[in-house]
Amino acid sequence: MKIIQLFNLSSPFTRTRALTLAVATVIAFGVNFIGIFSGVTILLSHVIYIPIILAGYWFPRRGLLFSTVIAVIYGVLIALIIPLDLLLIISTLFRMAFFILIGGVVSFLSSKLRASEQQLHEIIEFLPYPTFAVNQKGLVIAWNQAIEEMTGVKKAEILNKGHSAYSHAFYGINHPALQDIILTPNTETETGYLPLKKEGKTFVSEIFIPRFKGGKGVHLRIAATALVDERGNITGAIESIRDITEQVMTESALQNTSSRLNTIAGIVRHDISRKLAGLYGILSIGVMKFNNPEVLFFIEALKDSAQGIQRQIDISREFKDIGTSPPAWIPVQNAVLDAAARLWVGGVSFRTWTERLEVFADPHLTAVFFHIFDATIKETEQVTTVVVTYHIRENGCAILVETDGAGFDEKIKASLFTQREERYGHGLFLAHEICAISDMTIKETGTQTKGTRFEIMIQPEGYRIL
Amino acid sequence: MIEQDGIIPIMKNGVNTFKDTLQGDVNLTVKKTSVRELRRDEFPAADKCWVDYHDTTGDPATDRIFAVFSEEHIVSLARCRRHTDGMDVDGIFTPVEERKKGYSRIAVGALVEACHNDDLYMHAVRHLIVFYKKQGFIPIEEKELPPTIRDRYIWAGGNLEGADVQPMCRKAGLFSK
Repeated sequence: MKIIQLFNLSSPFTRTRALTLAVATVIAFGVNFIGIFSGVTILLSHVIYIPIILAGYWFPRRGLLFSTVIAVIYGVLIALIIPLDLLLIISTLFRMAFFILIGGVVSFLSSKLRASEQQLHEIIEFLPYPTFAVNQKGLVIAWNQAIEEMTGVKKAEILNKGHSAYSHAFYGINHPALQDIILTPNTETETGYLPLKKEGKTFVSEIFIPRFKGGKGVHLRIAATALVDERGNITGAIESIRDITEQVMTESALQNTSSRLNTIAGIVRHDISRKLAGLYGILSIGVMKFNNPEVLFFIEALKDSAQGIQRQIDISREFKDIGTSPPAWIPVQNAVLDAAARLWVGGVSFRTWTERLEVFADPHLTAVFFHIFDATIKETEQVTTVVVTYHIRENGCAILVETDGAGFDEKIKASLFTQREERYGHGLFLAHEICAISDMTIKETGTQTKGTRFEIMIQPEGYRIL
Repeated sequence: MIEQDGIIPIMKNGVNTFKDTLQGDVNLTVKKTSVRELRRDEFPAADKCWVDYHDTTGDPATDRIFAVFSEEHIVSLARCRRHTDGMDVDGIFTPVEERKKGYSRIAVGALVEACHNDDLYMHAVRHLIVFYKKQGFIPIEEKELPPTIRDRYIWAGGNLEGADVQPMCRKAGLFSK
């Protein structure tokens, strides 16, 4: 009874452990008692390590005390039952010392383990994002403060409860959780989280839950990752949730604004085009009506200006969609092949070695390659081969578009990507702007007479090799 | 065209097909022969092909593998492995029944073109030195190899000739040998 009082027995979990420990202790001493009476003092004493190790592991703060008490009781038993000689005294004292030592070591290691577990627990507990974890059976093993605030469900109410509990905490109904994809993969769960992305080992999806925030609803970004043991076996899953309502609303507002601006710009473009058509008509009549060379000179100058306005309209039409869709992971090989297909030029060989490369870029990436191909093939001479490769560098990844042939004149290189009225000025400026949307840079590093070489530089987080 | 001798890849309809600069056009396209870099999920197919080549295997984290396909079957392989201090070309292998058809030239040509932005190093079997010279490699001293690549043949104790291999290097660059 005294032994049991060494421990705090407030929880049923602790009571079960204390009872098990008491039984193990009684059995260990019972076996030793019989052994001592039979004259066996060596082998059976090892049985006493069992309650000592259990106590040290389960109750690290009391482990040393427990092992000391056990050692003393063992010593007293020996002293009372067997006639003592010097060898027996020494061996018994050694054994008692080892009992205490083992108890102390196990307690120490167990307390370190607990501290580490506690630290991990606190990391999850105080994460700013709502987070919960389940074990392999789908029972909740962690439920942090942020998720308590989000769902209104307290940790004590949900720990050790299954799918139904956390499903109701979120959805109010029985609904698959994203981490079910990890524990029990099935198409029904995947369908409920479309579009579903896999970023490394993490499944990511975005959902809208109407019942939160007093029925106003929230947009959530959910990320679920498997918990694995040292052998790589799945032992559970952890799900982290982020409220992205503001971000979604901002994106929506921006899209609306962009859409309205595009509509207005389209109307203005249309009106200007109509007026320009009228102006062309008047100028054409003027050419027929007047013979005076000075007047005809002015009419020709007016026509040039009108054509300049028409070019600006064409440029604004091409720019209107850029940046309207969010950047996404784009397979570079597809973008290059699409661009090459749009610009088939007889006698020029296209080869691309970017099969495994994806970049996080504006969906108009194809236009970047199209304008590079267009500028190099049409504006430089003797191009027979275009080769696209990539190069992993310390500061990211470079996509390289190289051609043979004459290359660009050194004098115009500096202004290749600025907006000008010349033929390629427009396209390469557009390519530069598309790259800039997702922090990519573009430059031309070829050598005149040896061919062109465009380098599109991508930040480390902006590319991946599949 | 790219200045390398032998069969070179030409892209048609998004597929790399071939032209032989030494013997004129070869009709490999008709045989549905193509060359491309393998995707991560195709590495096991390369491992299977390499079983007869010292049980070589590919690691998607460090390797780029280029395969020549004939009727959708891998008929030749070449691997470029990224080490911390250099790029190592090896695993150039064509199954016995597919040899003498120019497939190795295609595989190595593809690798060289795709990885031309870095200096490439290799231990060439000595009777293939001429073959690799045509791909732009030149023989070098063992000490010129990057340490990690050099260490692959540390067992030879500096006697690479005895091991029947020759260190070679191809300097970075596309349109140059």
